Amino acid sequence: MSKPRSALQFRMTEFAPSDIERRLEFVNLGPDDRARIAEIKADVLDHLDEHVEAFFGHLAKFEEARGLTGRPELIGEAKQLKREHLIAMVAGEYGREYIDQRFRLGQLYSRAALEVSIFMGAFHSLMTSIGRRIMSRYPKDSLAGFEHFTSLKKVAFFDIAIIVDAMMADREQTIRQQQDAIRELSTPTLQIRDRLLILPIIGLLDTQRAKQLTDSLLHAVRAHRARVVVMDITGVATVDSKVANHLIQTVEAAALMGASVIVTGVSAEVAQSLVTLGIDLGRITTLGDLQGGLEEAERILGYVVTQAAEVA
Amino acid sequence: MPVPILKQGEVLIASIQAALTDHDLLQLKDELADKIGRFRSRGVIIDVTALDVMDSFATRTLRGIAATARLRGAQAVVVGIQPDVAIAIVQLGLTLQGVATALDLEEGFEMLRRSMVKEGPQ
Repeated sequence: MSKPRSALQFRMTEFAPSDIERRLEFVNLGPDDRARIAEIKADVLDHLDEHVEAFFGHLAKFEEARGLTGRPELIGEAKQLKREHLIAMVAGEYGREYIDQRFRLGQLYSRAALEVSIFMGAFHSLMTSIGRRIMSRYPKDSLAGFEHFTSLKKVAFFDIAIIVDAMMADREQTIRQQQDAIRELSTPTLQIRDRLLILPIIGLLDTQRAKQLTDSLLHAVRAHRARVVVMDITGVATVDSKVANHLIQTVEAAALMGASVIVTGVSAEVAQSLVTLGIDLGRITTLGDLQGGLEEAERILGYVVTQAAEVA
Repeated sequence: MPVPILKQGEVLIASIQAALTDHDLLQLKDELADKIGRFRSRGVIIDVTALDVMDSFATRTLRGIAATARLRGAQAVVVGIQPDVAIAIVQLGLTLQGVATALDLEEGFEMLRRSMVKEGPQ
């Protein structure tokens, strides 16, 4: 089975040349800057190990970065990528390939669960190391040193934006997957007798979920030929006017399909907030608990449940 | 396309096969009102399973048919409303108040049978 396409790859394919140009405009990188970066190339390239060490040495100081520094297989790759990063940074080519490299590094950080805040600190430490080299090239003219350093810093900020974007995209992807998983889990419709369904709702009801709930309920009514549905909202902590409205609509839509819906498990807090909000649930049959709902449903369907023998 | 109306004992069945124009709906209403009297029917089932849209005119006409049938001594049941149609009706704020609804044809028959029994033996 192939790995699911991550958000990163997805975003990378969307990175058009015009986007890259725009991002370079954002950091205001001009021809002057490129010329200055070419001048200080040696300060970066001749001391590569020193600069890389500044970055990873900083990370090593923090327990929170153990996800990266504590894993030999990742740290090796990260160091290699960082070296390539520094070489590319002063090479003057900030095109598609450059961006792809930044994305890969961001993806790696994300895999190592590296926090953005720690990453920023380490990146700053890296820039300090480079800055010190650049400033020492212009001992008499600190303004020139500053300008050269600033030119390189523009590229650095360009990089940071991409790496942080990559880390965010990866995290958003994870959150989306989890949300999807929760959503799929959260609305089961269960048949417990012929023509009788129960629908236990647990967790937060938002508009999106309420819509999905209505949909799955109505399709279940059709599929199971249900005549009564017991909707239990014991697990719903809050019901606002929007959600209440959705519940009413669901009940009415089910009625159009010939099914009656009984709502159970309205907690004291929910009941009071509904009354305070002035929402009239009069058109809906509500009962205290799931047991009451089932008994009422059985009565409607004509079931008589009796105990076979006294339990000792 | 006009809607075929079938007679099954005391019950008339109008089975809608395709999307209806307003004219078709009015014709259905007239024809049902006429046939209820002619066949001395006690129940009318309108099967809308094939409909994937129902607008305000359609719901109003269905309400009209149900009211007319009641005055002529028959009970009307609308059966087979699709889930998406049900949601749309509710969300558009349309109502089928006074119209009995059931899941499908079978349920509709069952509903009519029960209400006829309630009204007493023949």
